[in-house]
Amino acid sequence: MAERQAPLHAQDKLAFLLSLVPFLMEHERISVQQAAEHFGVPAQQIREAVKLIAVSGIPGETGQYQHGDLFDLAWDDFEENDQIVLTNLVAIDDAPRFSGREAAALIAGLQYLSALPENADRGAIATLMTKLSRGASGVPSQVAVEASESDATLALIRESVATGVQLEFDYLNARGEHERRRVDPLRVESVDADWYLRGWCHLREAVRTFRLDRIGNPQITTAPIAFHPADVLLPDVLFEGSADDLIVTLDVAPAAAPLLADYIPDDAVSTEVNGRLRTAVRVSHYHGLKRLVAGMPGVVTVVGPPEARRAVAEWAAAGAARYEAD
Amino acid sequence: MSASSTQKVPVEERLFSLVLALLATETGLTKNEVLSTVQGYRQRFRAGGDNANLERQFERDKDDIRDLGVPLETVESPGQPGNNQNLRYRIPRGAYELPSDITFSAEETTLLNLAAMVWREGSLSGESRRAVMKLKGLGLVSDEPVLGYAPRLRVRDAAFEPLRAALERNAVVRFAYLKPGEEQARVRTVAPLALVQHQGRWHLHALEPDTQRTKTFLLRRIVSQVTTTGATFPAPLVDQTKAALSELEQVWESHTAEIEVVPDSDAATRLHKRRGTETLANGVLRLHYSDANIFADELAGYGPEVLVLSPPVLRAAVHTRLLRTAAEHSDADEGADRG
Repeated sequence: MAERQAPLHAQDKLAFLLSLVPFLMEHERISVQQAAEHFGVPAQQIREAVKLIAVSGIPGETGQYQHGDLFDLAWDDFEENDQIVLTNLVAIDDAPRFSGREAAALIAGLQYLSALPENADRGAIATLMTKLSRGASGVPSQVAVEASESDATLALIRESVATGVQLEFDYLNARGEHERRRVDPLRVESVDADWYLRGWCHLREAVRTFRLDRIGNPQITTAPIAFHPADVLLPDVLFEGSADDLIVTLDVAPAAAPLLADYIPDDAVSTEVNGRLRTAVRVSHYHGLKRLVAGMPGVVTVVGPPEARRAVAEWAAAGAARYEAD
Repeated sequence: MSASSTQKVPVEERLFSLVLALLATETGLTKNEVLSTVQGYRQRFRAGGDNANLERQFERDKDDIRDLGVPLETVESPGQPGNNQNLRYRIPRGAYELPSDITFSAEETTLLNLAAMVWREGSLSGESRRAVMKLKGLGLVSDEPVLGYAPRLRVRDAAFEPLRAALERNAVVRFAYLKPGEEQARVRTVAPLALVQHQGRWHLHALEPDTQRTKTFLLRRIVSQVTTTGATFPAPLVDQTKAALSELEQVWESHTAEIEVVPDSDAATRLHKRRGTETLANGVLRLHYSDANIFADELAGYGPEVLVLSPPVLRAAVHTRLLRTAAEHSDADEGADRG
């Protein structure tokens, strides 16, 4: 099975070589370091690729790879000064096209990001998508994402960072408590249809994650921001576990298990019970849990502790009672 | 230099040499010419001997190269149509090179880098990584965006990847589909036309060969593995994604619900923010939705914060769900029975 990985790896290396050659042609002299920074790869990867390019070429008239049929490099400059100067070029004149799939991935990505203020100019985005289609060697594959309207909250968040002032908004936490928050926006993140703002919260004096659809009445303030995006190293995960978290045991229909993946701790052990997956999840309080479980009716059941079961039962019963009252 | 080397030639060197050789030829090279002269093959070529392994290697390499979007084409030798041994291979420059009038501004490059980031995990991550590499090859430098973004599409549906692969090969697929309200899943055989995400959910737009009608399937209701039947169908001539999305949009547009929400509750804030939500004079929200069953799940999560006024089918669906959840969590059936 390791066989299957190997060609993939070589394929990526080939794509890199085909992108690197036109780049080096464009820059008559460039240092290994600069090229590495531009491509975001280790310097050694550039050196190895350059060495390979320098000895490659075409079979030529004789079918013997004569000297003039090969790329060539100013070897002294390369070996002594870490500088790349190609002295002979063959076969490649220009950059390669995108594949149909590559173009489709970028086009669908642009569609997904249509709510961003950067994407507000729909004419410019349409032009960009056309360029991608025209720049592809095949028809972009038929994968698309519904475009959404520009989001006013995202535009304000961006303005807050651009002008260096704090953003203020009403925030309703999952416990149902309203607070007016003042935040230095640090990063906007999304997972599928859910959008989040991560920022320094002046009320909590810590980095917090806010759901965009729970933010109300956002306003730009006049108070300068204390933290810029570059100042704060954000943890990779959106929500960090805390020592106060509650552990709840659930039974989940296997098909629904991926929907709970974010709540299941890495070290959780899952077992099968009556065709369902019994697993542990980590929640910060039962207010969030009852919404989560009531929103997945028939596929998730809380096994314990009893207080967790009771919280869900009461929430659902109170909801059901509203239909019986009138 | 490496021309006479007999040591093993790395795979990427062989692939790179093949691309260079096929780009440089106008008339194309026969398979025999490739195997006997191109670096990486010629070292293993036996003149007049059995080269079956090498030929298979060449077939796989062609697939790998085409997979990257390199237009490796096959042409018949003039005067010898149908003679397989004399097929010629080449990469036409015009189809390989990015047209010179296609350039990207720094702003556009920033947007494209963000678009590529969307797929940083999952099935299109390799493609977007390579697309970014190609953009870098153009020497493009992006503007640093004012605000950091970390957008991500996570395709959780297991059916996505096999359907995407089938879509590209115009392969007819088969899967079991569970329609809401039906007890048993039914096996469907369809020609996939497009995969589209609408309201955060992935849908397959497909043609049913038996009826010649197009249908839309929600990926999360595909309950079996997706298999190909071996049959293929002619590629559609026009873009299918627009038709698929506008059909889903029409469905969404035509379904409206009226819902009473508890003021200042989580439901009030979030439902108010949904696209297309209207607030009526009496404070009732009018919302659009695509699928009553899925929307009922979502509304049930809000518990007593919402009361569905209409339509009756949605009202009943939410009520039933809440009753079920309450029953499954009442002390009477402590975690054992779940009806």
